[in-house]
Amino acid sequence: MSSGVETVTPGRRLGLAEEYEAGSGTYTRNGMIYSSILGTKVVQKAEESKEADSQSKPTLHVERSNAKFAIPVIGSEVLCRVVRMNPRAASVAIMMVGSTPCQEDFQGVVRVQDIRATEKDLVQMINSFRPGDIIRAEVISLGDQRSYYLATTKNEHGVIFAQSAAGNTMVPISWEEMQDPKTKDTEKRKCAKTF
Amino acid sequence: MSTNVVDRRRVNGPARSVEPVYASTETADPFAEGREDGRALDQVRPIFMKTGPLSAQESELSSSATASAASGSAFYEQGKIRVSCAVYGPRQGRKSNARMGSFDCDFRYAPFSCSWKRRSHVKAADEKEISLMLEHAIAPAIRVEAYPKACIDAFVTVIESDGRAATIAAAINCISAALADAGIEMYDSVAGCSMGLRGSQWVADCTQAEEDVSSCSALLAFMPSADEITYILQHGKSTPEQTDQAVQTCTNLCTRVYAVICRYLQSSLE
Repeated sequence: MSSGVETVTPGRRLGLAEEYEAGSGTYTRNGMIYSSILGTKVVQKAEESKEADSQSKPTLHVERSNAKFAIPVIGSEVLCRVVRMNPRAASVAIMMVGSTPCQEDFQGVVRVQDIRATEKDLVQMINSFRPGDIIRAEVISLGDQRSYYLATTKNEHGVIFAQSAAGNTMVPISWEEMQDPKTKDTEKRKCAKTF
Repeated sequence: MSTNVVDRRRVNGPARSVEPVYASTETADPFAEGREDGRALDQVRPIFMKTGPLSAQESELSSSATASAASGSAFYEQGKIRVSCAVYGPRQGRKSNARMGSFDCDFRYAPFSCSWKRRSHVKAADEKEISLMLEHAIAPAIRVEAYPKACIDAFVTVIESDGRAATIAAAINCISAALADAGIEMYDSVAGCSMGLRGSQWVADCTQAEEDVSSCSALLAFMPSADEITYILQHGKSTPEQTDQAVQTCTNLCTRVYAVICRYLQSSLE
């Protein structure tokens, strides 16, 4: 809910920290909420709290309509493409964080022990991913100098799009198999539960 | 030519040529009758700014993942100075294992930007020095804790320069605008302004002709909302009182420049 269209520039005072909550696109300093990006000021009314807490304050956001590029943060869901594989880890290129694209692909790595939640020692990389697969994963750590560490342990994480050896798009038939609809061949992947 | 390679396939003209020296070359005093362009001593040149000329357009948003599209860009004019800046980021950082983001600036003069000589394509020492200056001036304004492991790159090109200190101040303003256009989180936009010392009088925003006859030039980068100066540069000799006076006056001028930049940024969204 917006209270009028007011364009604000970075560093513009928006309100007092005791009257408002600081939302996205803002920062707080010395008890005052300032805008941190160029955008429109949005005041979101406080949600009705179940405990009848009358202390909830409206939230101040600054929003920008055109493309805002994201960076991976711990706990965020990312969409990646498998680039390289070795028996211990798969290198992936992170293309999207949530529903926001990245300006340039970030580098990530899915280690073999982070592919499944159970029976981690029996996982084989070649039966989980192949280069070129598109996977959905979760960022578990900021990782080392080059890559973020990702995991596909959750049911809804894993391969969401893959092509068979024959070049056709495969359909998941179980959590560990995908089938080529034309040749009827099955290939092993760690599939994401998309339904 | 900056190299010693001789082109033997063509009939070449002389390797070096200079302008002929005329009999009466008395350089006119740019302050002879007030300032050449009629400005007051504390008046900054008129500013024009446009954001987004190098970024992906609205209609191409679905294909905005093209490698060459900048996150944000700005074109800045101040009198005869023309500067353009493209910001890329946040993208994968190249520095080692940082918990905070990093900001890198790349500054270059176009070969045709100086009116009296042609610059080489190879980056000269002064361009590298100015790149560091701009990094020091702008980095405090960026909320780098919001971008762990990522880096933000700004590439500044001076298309036409008119006054060394004034061009650097223009570059600071241009980068601020491009960063705002890119949606990078900042504490505040940084505004830059320069002054030259003529005798005992500080003159705001000197052109090249005015700077050549100044004994000292000062550059200031200021964040009005935080009331913080991010960068001061003085080139030349002045007394401590004069430097003090320059800092005070420049800070006021920066606030005025900041208001102009904010007005342009706001109208760019409408």
